[in-house]
Amino acid sequence: MGFGDLKSPAGLQLLNSFLADKSYIEGYVPSQADVAVFEAVGVSPPAELFHALRWYNHIKSYEKQKGSLPGVKKPLGRYGPADVEDTTGAAGDNKDDDDIDLFGSDEEEESEEAKRLREERLAQYESKKSKKPALIAKSSLLLDVKPWDDETDMAKLEECVRSIQADGLVWGSSKLVPVGYGIKKLQIQCVVEDDKVGTDMLEERITAFEDYVQSMDVAAFNKI
Amino acid sequence: MAAATGPCLGVEELGLLEKSLGLKKGNKYSGQGERKTPVLQMNSGPSLTGLTTIAIHLVKQAKKDQLLGRTAEEKAMVQQWLEYRVTQVDKQSSKEQIRIILKDLNSYLEDKVYFTGNNFTLADILLYYGLHHIIADLTVQEKEKYLNVSRWFNHIQHFPGIRQHLSSIVFIKNRLYNTH
Repeated sequence: MGFGDLKSPAGLQLLNSFLADKSYIEGYVPSQADVAVFEAVGVSPPAELFHALRWYNHIKSYEKQKGSLPGVKKPLGRYGPADVEDTTGAAGDNKDDDDIDLFGSDEEEESEEAKRLREERLAQYESKKSKKPALIAKSSLLLDVKPWDDETDMAKLEECVRSIQADGLVWGSSKLVPVGYGIKKLQIQCVVEDDKVGTDMLEERITAFEDYVQSMDVAAFNKI
Repeated sequence: MAAATGPCLGVEELGLLEKSLGLKKGNKYSGQGERKTPVLQMNSGPSLTGLTTIAIHLVKQAKKDQLLGRTAEEKAMVQQWLEYRVTQVDKQSSKEQIRIILKDLNSYLEDKVYFTGNNFTLADILLYYGLHHIIADLTVQEKEKYLNVSRWFNHIQHFPGIRQHLSSIVFIKNRLYNTH
């Protein structure tokens, strides 16, 4: 809304066409709306803008009653044709812009705030969740670790395997199981937390002792 | 016979005026002669004949003398337009004559808000009543053509207490015809 700059010919032209079918800026009686626009116009519009001039002269006749006219003055941009953009740029007018600003900065800030809150809550929830021991999924594994040959030091091999330390990994009992030709494999039990230790990781760590370990298999895998 | 039988002329119109002035119904009107000239029979004394005469009397009765004009000049103008109302507006019947009236009024109202300029007077009321049936028959394009009349008419019909039961005439500003 608004007439733009009412001191400019374009602004007066707008006012003129706006008033072509109206006697007053708002409604059917003189009001503070007329006073506000009247004051913004300041001087008598040129004769060719007869609608604006007629209105101007008419409002002028209320000069003495100016203060007693009904209504409350609003920012200039609030008056006039609805299909014309307000360019008066008064401080109060910015509200108008915000109303239609779909990408307003306000909203972005809000969503960031919301995002932050959500993340905070998520983190809280996560930490709560992890503190609940009952919810930790564990598995019991039985691993077969095979040596290269009968000359491999099985005691040393077991020591190496047990040296593997990881969060959520607990080694259990072990035994040597003969495979044939005097060769024995190491069968060792362990309990792992599913989230923290995977069989891939175990295999990688165990086969890393390549001096002793030829291969490793998961003989049994049980969820606890 | 001239078009003096418009929907709200004469007797009925004085009823409307009475009401808009806030007078209590108590006056009796009758239509006299072929033209149905309104006659007001006073309780005591003579009867009054003629629309404007009775209208002025009613305004004085209601103690709203400002409606007859505040200055001598304005009083004369009110008188002039009341005369115009009964001698011109009420006497026209053909489309052509009505067109001329509207054209005249349109250019007259170009720089005025009310018939006397800046003040609402009896002239506006009676011309509104007198023109109502004419304006009601206009097409959208005609209303657009007589823009100043339309503006004035729309203004008066929104004046509190004036329109009463008369139909509210719709004016639309056709953006298509707006050249600027």
